[in-house]
Amino acid sequence: MSTRRRTTALIGDDNTVVVAGKRLTWRTLRKLPQLPSPAAVLVDNGADALAALRHHAVHGTELLVATESRVDERMREELGESGFAIVLPDGSVTPARLKRVEESGRAWLLTSGSTGRPKRIGHTLESLTTVTADQPPRTWLLPYSPGTYAWWQVVTLSLTQADQGLVVIEPSELEDWPKIATEHGVTAASGTPTFWRQAIYRDADALAGVPLEQITLGGEPVDQAILDQLREIFPTTRISWIYASSEVGASIVVHDGKAGFPRSWLDRDPHPERPVLSVEGDELVIRSPHHGAGLIGAIRTGDRVEYDGDRVLITGRLDTDEINVGGSKVSAGVVRNVLMGHPGVSWARVFARKAPLVGRMVAAEVVPNRSLGPITDTDLVQWCSTRLPDYGVPRRIKFLDQIPQKETLKSDV
Amino acid sequence: MGEVMTAQGRALPAEDTADLREIGFRSLDFSELALRVEDELGDELNFDAPGLRRIATVGDVLDFIEQLQSA
Repeated sequence: MSTRRRTTALIGDDNTVVVAGKRLTWRTLRKLPQLPSPAAVLVDNGADALAALRHHAVHGTELLVATESRVDERMREELGESGFAIVLPDGSVTPARLKRVEESGRAWLLTSGSTGRPKRIGHTLESLTTVTADQPPRTWLLPYSPGTYAWWQVVTLSLTQADQGLVVIEPSELEDWPKIATEHGVTAASGTPTFWRQAIYRDADALAGVPLEQITLGGEPVDQAILDQLREIFPTTRISWIYASSEVGASIVVHDGKAGFPRSWLDRDPHPERPVLSVEGDELVIRSPHHGAGLIGAIRTGDRVEYDGDRVLITGRLDTDEINVGGSKVSAGVVRNVLMGHPGVSWARVFARKAPLVGRMVAAEVVPNRSLGPITDTDLVQWCSTRLPDYGVPRRIKFLDQIPQKETLKSDV
Repeated sequence: MGEVMTAQGRALPAEDTADLREIGFRSLDFSELALRVEDELGDELNFDAPGLRRIATVGDVLDFIEQLQSA
């Protein structure tokens, strides 16, 4: 890559940025002291993460930004040995153990680590800016954890396009985000299906009060039930779901309100701006122009797909989605979709449980929809029995009081 | 065992001699029952696979579960 310092014109530099209730702009965010480069900037709030990103954009430094809690001691040591100075939230700096020349303009992301320890994926501001067409003026909610791919997607949109404001939601504000979003006129919001489920579960009326023109879902398998629930609350809003990851970038964008993507999108002719999607075995394989550094060519995503008529559904991770019940295989994602299609279910997780005779059985955790009265495991077993083969019916169902959610807004379904 | 049968919309016969195959109590049902016992005990059970072949009646199942609980 080029060693020339970037002097990117930040078209969105005067866009509004709301942090901790204060209305600022990118330009008027708190200035960080001159950061070393390469640096891993560990933050404990969204404003400092944005300031680090702007510093990177202006000065072309090599940057990894993440929340302090996502980078444990072992990873800090690994980063130090890879040439990163570690910048802590209080501003203290641990110099890099390895002295090396910076990769100018390099932005590093950490994968979610759902399949082990988080990996570092190299990008640039350009490769992370996947929305380049002019956008209607919008104010975006930013609930994502700093440094994740989804966070970069929203912040690069705001920094590189005019009239794309941001309202930052800190973890402590997640329970009340619809109130904050309404107060600041948020018109577009992106979140995981778990994030949206929680919002509906907590207070659907408060959610309905947010003047949303654009709703985006991503980061987890997107099922028809959550799309339908959002459509009911927001009849005229554009509802999209995105398949994206640090490795392959934003690769699938679906606006038709349906789960999965059209089967006709598989194996289309290569196009410089469009990823090529294919399926090998049960696995989604993507060649993407938005890929991370060094990830050229076909990338095995580790995500499992199933065909449903003319749609291709992404059901979950390959290593956990398929449950073998006495030799009969069933997708945990498909079972989850059936459970979440029950009107009395707000959230569900489906997993394998070790069992005698059959090896594994399908089990589930469920958060019931409080507004529709009590449901029992017998109700759900009967619901599933008419929609799934007998080996796919979750026989043990545990009810939870609330929807679990991690810092990444995911719930490991 | 009655709960497992009820959840499937069936009833547990009164006689302990009832044949499992005749009442439709299949391997999935037995596995579910084992998981229910595990949940009750709060501990993972170690099943003796050869012993399972001797379980042919409702009474055999109940005896086996009793053994597991007292083990």
